[in-house]
Amino acid sequence: MRNPWAQTGNYRTSYEQDTTIFANYREIVSVVLLLVALCLLPLFLERSQVLVLNFILIYAIAVLGLNITTGYAGLISVGQAAFMGVGAYTVALAAPSLPFWLTIPLGGFVAAIAGFIVGIPSLRVKHLYLALATLAFQEIFVWVVGRSPALAQGAAIPVEMRNFLGLEISFRNHNYFWYYIILFVLVLMVIAWRNLLRGKYGRALIAVRDNDRAADAMGMDPGRTKLFAFALGAFYGGVAGGLLAYMQRAVVVEEFTLARSVTLLAMAIVGGLGTVVGSLLGPAFMKFLQIYVERLSEWMKANPFIQSITPAGVDVASALLPLSFGLVIVLFLVFEPRGLYNWWRLLRSYFRTWPFKY
Amino acid sequence: MKRGFVLAMMVALGLALAQGRTVNLLWSGAITGPTSDVGGPYAAGIEDYCKYANEQKLIPNVTLNCIVRDDQYQNPNTQRILEEALDRAKPAIYLGYSTGAMLQLKPLINEVRLPTIPASAHIGLIEPPHNQYMFLPVSSYSEQFVALLEYINRTKKNARVALVVNPSPFGRAVVDVSRRAAARLGQTIVDVREVGGGNLDNTALLRALDAAGVEFILHQNVAGPVANILKDAKRLGLDKKIKQLGAIYTGGSDLIRLAGDAAEGYLWASSYYTLDENAPGINLQKQLAQKYNRSADILNSTNYTAGMLAAAIAVEAMKRAAQRFNGRIDNATVYQALIGMNGPNAFKPGFAVSTKAGIEIDFTRTEQTGAEGLRILEVKGGKFVPVTEPFTSTLFRQVRNP
Repeated sequence: MRNPWAQTGNYRTSYEQDTTIFANYREIVSVVLLLVALCLLPLFLERSQVLVLNFILIYAIAVLGLNITTGYAGLISVGQAAFMGVGAYTVALAAPSLPFWLTIPLGGFVAAIAGFIVGIPSLRVKHLYLALATLAFQEIFVWVVGRSPALAQGAAIPVEMRNFLGLEISFRNHNYFWYYIILFVLVLMVIAWRNLLRGKYGRALIAVRDNDRAADAMGMDPGRTKLFAFALGAFYGGVAGGLLAYMQRAVVVEEFTLARSVTLLAMAIVGGLGTVVGSLLGPAFMKFLQIYVERLSEWMKANPFIQSITPAGVDVASALLPLSFGLVIVLFLVFEPRGLYNWWRLLRSYFRTWPFKY
Repeated sequence: MKRGFVLAMMVALGLALAQGRTVNLLWSGAITGPTSDVGGPYAAGIEDYCKYANEQKLIPNVTLNCIVRDDQYQNPNTQRILEEALDRAKPAIYLGYSTGAMLQLKPLINEVRLPTIPASAHIGLIEPPHNQYMFLPVSSYSEQFVALLEYINRTKKNARVALVVNPSPFGRAVVDVSRRAAARLGQTIVDVREVGGGNLDNTALLRALDAAGVEFILHQNVAGPVANILKDAKRLGLDKKIKQLGAIYTGGSDLIRLAGDAAEGYLWASSYYTLDENAPGINLQKQLAQKYNRSADILNSTNYTAGMLAAAIAVEAMKRAAQRFNGRIDNATVYQALIGMNGPNAFKPGFAVSTKAGIEIDFTRTEQTGAEGLRILEVKGGKFVPVTEPFTSTLFRQVRNP
């Protein structure tokens, strides 16, 4: 037997080895080290920096779900923010009477039911037509919330949790508390994601994505698989929305609009469709891009020279964020369609084979 | 030697005291992105008033540090910017912006007890829960709408009215209270329509409202969609038949610029003085715009006035806090100063009209609206001119709660 610590490649000789979650011990160690680092990270950060991390991790959960629907099953969805919204509003309505560890999964389940219903058109339509069906759901969601007095017509519904097992949750520890909860949920969701995709359901998703008629001929049920993909992707979205509701202390409909759905799709593309690492890198990249472009916009707006060379009536600083956003997506699609995940893969490969090239 | 050292120390201490300390004020809003046509001038008003306050040493021995940040009209950014400031700058007062973000941040603001003066005048901000530290500089959208209905009632009894509102909490805030007020006044709310940006053709909307016998359209929106409706009404020949009116963010120089001569006759509820009037605040606005090289667009914007008023209230509260609490300026003392700003201590900076009692800005612990007086202005010859004396809605307080 080869020394597992000195292994330089994959030497899989059985089906079981091929479906393991970790290819070798080094991967286990690196994941454990990453988790330890993530657990220790808030100790070195300010509260507001932890808030940014919380947003990234919540979006990562939503993007994981999108990666099931779009990345694995190949069903384009521009309604992921609406699924988040379904989860968030479920949590907002249930929070006064249920503890958070029940409301968050409940949010996921209600979103999964919505996902199942939204997925029904996927039995008949594909590609752009399906994207339009999900777009319709996104708009219907915002419309329904805006006209529902029970949902405050889109205005804020407070979602508060002041105490957990005797620990008082206040402004000082709110972001830290929710960081660890979100991290825990994310780890669970990633494990579930990996487990799913190495099993027969995961392979069915890929088969249906690549050729649903061939998958049907091989005994899979493409219809059920597509509905399953939508429901599961929506479940992830619902859980992310529930966490967002608690983290932001209130739910407002503005968080769950089409723009947010497009942002989530962009995060999935930039990170790398159909990958766990991409689901983490995409949200992080887009969030930091936004923060730094915001600083640049502020600088441009305050800089007299920039203002003097800009034609009257043209607001370059305002255009900078959507411009950079669109540009990043286009550049990734053209030059790196496999997303940031591919850079991560190349980097890892470089260190694994160092000092050799291959 | 020893005496020299003590002297040097005393001089150093004296210099340090003379230089004073820095107190932070935070504003975050849409300088870029959606609604930046409002946020840009609003931010400029705050920045300019802060510079003026420092130059004039309005708060003795204190340097005011105004942190003006761009949240791009995104709630997560607003939350991040506020929490960053709470970590690093510990502002004594927060000047907020959008309806959605402010409603979302109410629990946090209440928890950290940070006095907040938002640009949004959504009534929900000063209603329970978590409303203790929210102060609206001018009357709420809801109060403005009830005042508009009262104005209509003065000119036409039993009027048939339609509400055209923005498809957002900002727009919908006025609907319920308007229904209650209209019922009291014997008016009929014929229809409530939601219209957002991108309403390039409003023929169907206007034809439907005309067919329903609508005599007045009340707008709760921003200037762009209202300008499009006004232009279409003129094109369809309905501008004389249906009178159009709106709350604070529908009007101002932006509306006239966007709607052109179609804006003629439009009625606008506003608490602010216009640029053509001789009021101390407006004169200061003109002076500061010239001094800090602001463009004509910014100078003419009511949102520039609004930003200055918000900053003026904040600076005055800080000044009074320093006077009352031995130079201590923080969120707790500024809050006390704000709720004490009433009666003989009401604030009169001259940006907004006064009520009949001669009060421009006042707050109490339970009355969290600053300028309660407002006027109706009408576009005449390409300018908004007042057509009423300043008044306060009498009906609003009766119909505010169901």
